[in-house]
Amino acid sequence: MISDSVLPTQQSAPRRIKVIRSPSFSVSRLFGDLSVLAEYRDLLYTLSVHRIKVRYKQSVLGVSWAIVQPLALMLIYTLIFTVITKVPTSGNVPYPVLLYTALLIWTFFSTALTTATNGLVSHNHLVTKVYFPREILPLTYVIASLFDLVIASPVLLGLMLYYQVPITLNALYAIPIILIMTTFITSMAFIFSAAQVRFRDIGMALPLLLQIWMFATPVVYPLSAVPERFRSLYMLNPMVGIVENFRRVLVEGAPPDFFVLGISALIALLLLPAAYIFFKRVEATIADVI
Amino acid sequence: MVDLKFNKVSKRYRVRQELGQNAARNRIIRKIQGLRQRTEDFWALRDVSFDVERGQAIGIIGHNGAGKSTILKLLASITAPTSGEITINGRLSALIEVGSGFHPELSGRENIYLNGSILGMRRREIHQKLDRIVDFAGIRQFVDTPVKRYSSGMYVRLGFSIAAHLDPDILLLDEVLAVGDAAFQAKCLQRIDELKAAGTTIVFISHDLGAVERVCDRVLLMQRGEVVTDGSPAQAIAEYQRQSSSSEVSKNNQLSKEAEITAVSLYRSEEKDSSTFHTGEPLKIRVNYLAHERVMDTTFEVFIGSQDGELQCHLTTELSDERIDLEPGVGNIVFLCEELGLSPGLYNVSVTIIYRGQALGEAIDFRERCTTFRVDAGKITRGKFYMPHQWQVEYGENHYLGAVAVQDREIVSPKAF
Repeated sequence: MISDSVLPTQQSAPRRIKVIRSPSFSVSRLFGDLSVLAEYRDLLYTLSVHRIKVRYKQSVLGVSWAIVQPLALMLIYTLIFTVITKVPTSGNVPYPVLLYTALLIWTFFSTALTTATNGLVSHNHLVTKVYFPREILPLTYVIASLFDLVIASPVLLGLMLYYQVPITLNALYAIPIILIMTTFITSMAFIFSAAQVRFRDIGMALPLLLQIWMFATPVVYPLSAVPERFRSLYMLNPMVGIVENFRRVLVEGAPPDFFVLGISALIALLLLPAAYIFFKRVEATIADVI
Repeated sequence: MVDLKFNKVSKRYRVRQELGQNAARNRIIRKIQGLRQRTEDFWALRDVSFDVERGQAIGIIGHNGAGKSTILKLLASITAPTSGEITINGRLSALIEVGSGFHPELSGRENIYLNGSILGMRRREIHQKLDRIVDFAGIRQFVDTPVKRYSSGMYVRLGFSIAAHLDPDILLLDEVLAVGDAAFQAKCLQRIDELKAAGTTIVFISHDLGAVERVCDRVLLMQRGEVVTDGSPAQAIAEYQRQSSSSEVSKNNQLSKEAEITAVSLYRSEEKDSSTFHTGEPLKIRVNYLAHERVMDTTFEVFIGSQDGELQCHLTTELSDERIDLEPGVGNIVFLCEELGLSPGLYNVSVTIIYRGQALGEAIDFRERCTTFRVDAGKITRGKFYMPHQWQVEYGENHYLGAVAVQDREIVSPKAF
């Protein structure tokens, strides 16, 4: 009934020694965690692909849902802010293009954060049964949302062609901007998903928080519309530098405002290790409280 | 070579306590008080130390709450110890709840990749083993069908097949053997034997003492978070049985107690007490009682359950016309099974005295799992139980040999009609 081929092949590779202790912080432990994560990269890949597949399986529109959301929001806000009331715009780029660009990256942020926050809780059947580095769960949601961003991007190109907005080489700056953005989202996803395990209030408050956050970020209006005297405070929001510069390099054809972008990058880079350490600390006893 | 080492490992759980009388009346304030809730410490494990040598199969047994599953969770890295250190030398895989990582919308193939990577396999490894996994599970035709269309048998087989191809250095086994049909269990055991033969270190945590005895070379008996016995399977299991019979008969139920059960003993025939019996041979159960007053029209019942808690059979005096009235003082009731129908395994006995026709909840006395016994192979059983039977040969009409045949012909022959 069972063929010999099923027998385990004696592994020639040296055995890995693993020591489990009570949770505490040390730098070597941090690197240990990262090397375990690297070992599980195949799971990260498989689970991310799975995430993308499952999201659109059994829906008629399939992957085009990634486009529908920012596009629909663009139409609504365009209607509100150009017909019902007027928003001051800078330069001569048409409002729908400005708006869609900002919504593209904002949708990435809000989808990733919303789905990742529930990432651990919704997998409690796995988390209490099998071990794998738990950070993979929020990470896969960030990756799946990044995929959505890529899918929804060609629409921006279409809009720019339609409105005859020229594309310049400065558009390449979009890549480092998305990198900074992803770093920031990942940190937020670590913090929120870990906190959600203990306090489900996080998930409840999140839609409201995102709503407020969006209006505190130059999505439906340009940065120039914010009064000078509030601006330094305003720019502490890391999303400001990201959204504003993303729009600048893509549709306005200008180089990024390195100072504002620098603030965002600095915040994101400082936050990531802190968020990861916090996450791993919570992870150690996650199965006891989930 | 030591593959697993527990060094003074303790695990504390915080058990939340209800707020007492000084809880605020306002709901929100009460909620906030709840955040700094008084918690009570519960030590699931206390300074547990043991080593497991490479290639050894170690069993861990004990009552619910003794700390078995905590050990399992710690080994599998699902949760971290409160203090102490666990050293694991090699690749450890847990065969726990087969199929818990399946996604119904995805095909069998996709689920193999998904589940395999969750269990710690590399993509390349899964790729190499895919055909073997599919064939072992016997689902080749359905490999591209979403698993939500699978029968439950296929589902379980696929889950097990993935886990069985993990090739770990150290294998953790939970109650996996308790699921699935007999054929599946046999397959599980066979696979475990193969892994054992190949030098895999095995940790088997189970209630199923029979399976533990079959698989393990060494058994730890846990009690209240501590290892109380560390020895051969026979030794630890005997200790466990002794523990269950002594600790639980004295358990005081809050029942009416007009009468109580003072002892339950098992006999083979006329011999003295025994705890080992054979299928198809006699079993006597003697229930001693002490009546504090006159108790009219009672029923005595005996429940025999297997180790997983499933009721296997029920003996009762209720259906008889004879009325049992207890006079103050002691007495006993003997149940006699002339041919024991149970198949080999470990069983426990619960006994109750009850007013005739009452529900179990209103028992006069109820002793749950007050003793355990073991059944060894006797008269052959294939299947779930032995059925007492007799047999005789009936010859056809053309058979003229012997008196029995002649006699029978008159009954069976069509000419008789």
